[in-house]
Amino acid sequence: MSRAEILDRIRAANAGRARPEHPGSFVSGAVAEGADLVRVFRDRFEDVGGESVRVADIASARAWLEAFLEPFESASFGLLVPPELGPRGGTAPSAAKVGVSWAAGAVAETGSIALSSADGRRAQLLPPTHVVLIDAGSIVATLVDGLSRWREGLPSAVGLHSGPSKSADIGQVMVKGVHGPGRLVAVVIGGGDAPE
Amino acid sequence: MSFETRPPDYRAASAAILRGSPNVRDSVGSATRSFEERRWEALAHVDADRWRDWARDVKTHALLHLDTYLGQAADQLEANGVHVHWAADRSAATSILDEIVERHDVRSAVKAKSMLSEELEVNEHLESRGVEPVETDLGEYIIQLLGEPPSHIVGPAIHKSLEDCRRLFHTRLGTPLDAEPDVLAAAARKALRTRFLLADMGISGANFVAADTGTLALIENEGNIRLSTSVPPVHVAFVGIEKVVPRFEDLAGLLQLTARSATGQPIGLFVSLIQGPRRQDEVDGPEHVHVVFVDNGRTRLLADERGWEALRCVRCGACLNSCPVYRQTGGHAYGWTYSGPIGAILAPGMLGLDGGMPLPHASSLCGACVDACPVRIPIPELLLHWRAKAVDEGMEPLSERFGSSFYANLAERPGAYRAASAGLRLTPWRAASRALPILGDWARERTLPEPSPKSFRTLWREGIE
Repeated sequence: MSRAEILDRIRAANAGRARPEHPGSFVSGAVAEGADLVRVFRDRFEDVGGESVRVADIASARAWLEAFLEPFESASFGLLVPPELGPRGGTAPSAAKVGVSWAAGAVAETGSIALSSADGRRAQLLPPTHVVLIDAGSIVATLVDGLSRWREGLPSAVGLHSGPSKSADIGQVMVKGVHGPGRLVAVVIGGGDAPE
Repeated sequence: MSFETRPPDYRAASAAILRGSPNVRDSVGSATRSFEERRWEALAHVDADRWRDWARDVKTHALLHLDTYLGQAADQLEANGVHVHWAADRSAATSILDEIVERHDVRSAVKAKSMLSEELEVNEHLESRGVEPVETDLGEYIIQLLGEPPSHIVGPAIHKSLEDCRRLFHTRLGTPLDAEPDVLAAAARKALRTRFLLADMGISGANFVAADTGTLALIENEGNIRLSTSVPPVHVAFVGIEKVVPRFEDLAGLLQLTARSATGQPIGLFVSLIQGPRRQDEVDGPEHVHVVFVDNGRTRLLADERGWEALRCVRCGACLNSCPVYRQTGGHAYGWTYSGPIGAILAPGMLGLDGGMPLPHASSLCGACVDACPVRIPIPELLLHWRAKAVDEGMEPLSERFGSSFYANLAERPGAYRAASAGLRLTPWRAASRALPILGDWARERTLPEPSPKSFRTLWREGIE
């Protein structure tokens, strides 16, 4: 059956029915006006086992990253990570112990990080530890806000990562790091208040 | 593994499970109660009624304009570089899969959890073609090793206990018999890692498709869907035609409501928003993405004047989790990919009454499901709708038809009714009750009450208060 035949069957099925309008944009009502988006993001993210830190600027991010990566044997860097923060590529993602990515943005209400395929998907998924650098200005309040913002110039895939990988499929007991990274660290760069 | 019962013999299957595998009731009971609690908790923190009204309305609008949105989705996906295919039914879908396998010389595949791929029996088909499909969702991996079909829409292995998993993994992966869940999971991760890296093809479904941007949206917690759709050079997505929604932004409300309803999470830990194959300036991602839009009974259901509302389903499993009947046996008793309340209202519409009955009778009509449904499908009404249609087609058992018309005749004739009631009090009917139509089944498992010594009419005339 072709496209035309399936679409015809649909039209025939719906014949004579009332056609209600689209209800309009979804409004979650979950984030208060004027809320500290960095705080909301970090709280939601940490609720599900994500780790987060805030640094003042790129220079502080560089220092933090160097210290963090020091004990790891190998690291893989996404293509969008600013050159001052790390080498291009690094170790292949399938072998690296930690992956470092640059976020396309983040969502406060769901504690989600948006990752573009332009940064490189494998480094975001294969290493057991994943560090994501997020510009505080790219954190939006709601998921609707995020999708509205990112719809222009979408890459081949956007991943929304909202915490370390988990499963409860074995006897209903929660385990981490089943396929994706078991450790997810968000480094928020900038955003006003004194960093920790 | 495919379902062999056509039409479903729910009575026999559920009796067999209850008598033969009593542990299933415990496992399914505790898993579904846990999902239910988490759903309640998650929806208590948001304006759930408003969210559900919105989701019902956006899905209704999408279904009633489906030809427009499906066409738009296909055009956008093609503009994004995706190969779009159309399958009327299972055999068309598997033929398309054969072409794709041949075109890209596929010998091994990794599978992300997809109920539609179970419905189409993709695994069996690939195996018969010499292509090895490996399930990567932990629950699906477990049941694949066991050779069983999924028992639940969201948690395919909830009917298996920790002990069951320990024994299975000990035999198949060499883990110790007393291994903790994290050790078992690590063994599965290690075994599957190589599969991801070497597979020629990744197969997935899609939770939603945004028509305006040509986006496939997939939700998960493990990361196996992201891997299956990012690492192998070819990605094939089987998508039910009812999954299309109008706008990219609509995904926000639907993803959040589905996650809260399914597992009580604000959102799935990994969401994939896929537009197409890797771009020229990207370093990874599949070179080819194929989307197969599948009908397989969906237009048939859409044509039913009331039944179409079941197509709003977002596959969250909340109705299964709330159902006191499903909870006793798990999904295998229903004999089809989709079980529980949603299975009972999809089957008669998609498979026809012959293929779907008697599933709408696997219900006490308590209504817990409609309270749980995030898109407000009127499940109890639709169960009655299909039951009524079956009666109109003359499909109810002879004893039921006879019993119903006998009772109706009696109720219209006061003299005969009185005589029958008197007879009830005089004859030893409890002993004979097992032989009666309708009551016989009921009496097999229960002790029937004694009839009252005087009829209500007599008591009334005597002046009861």
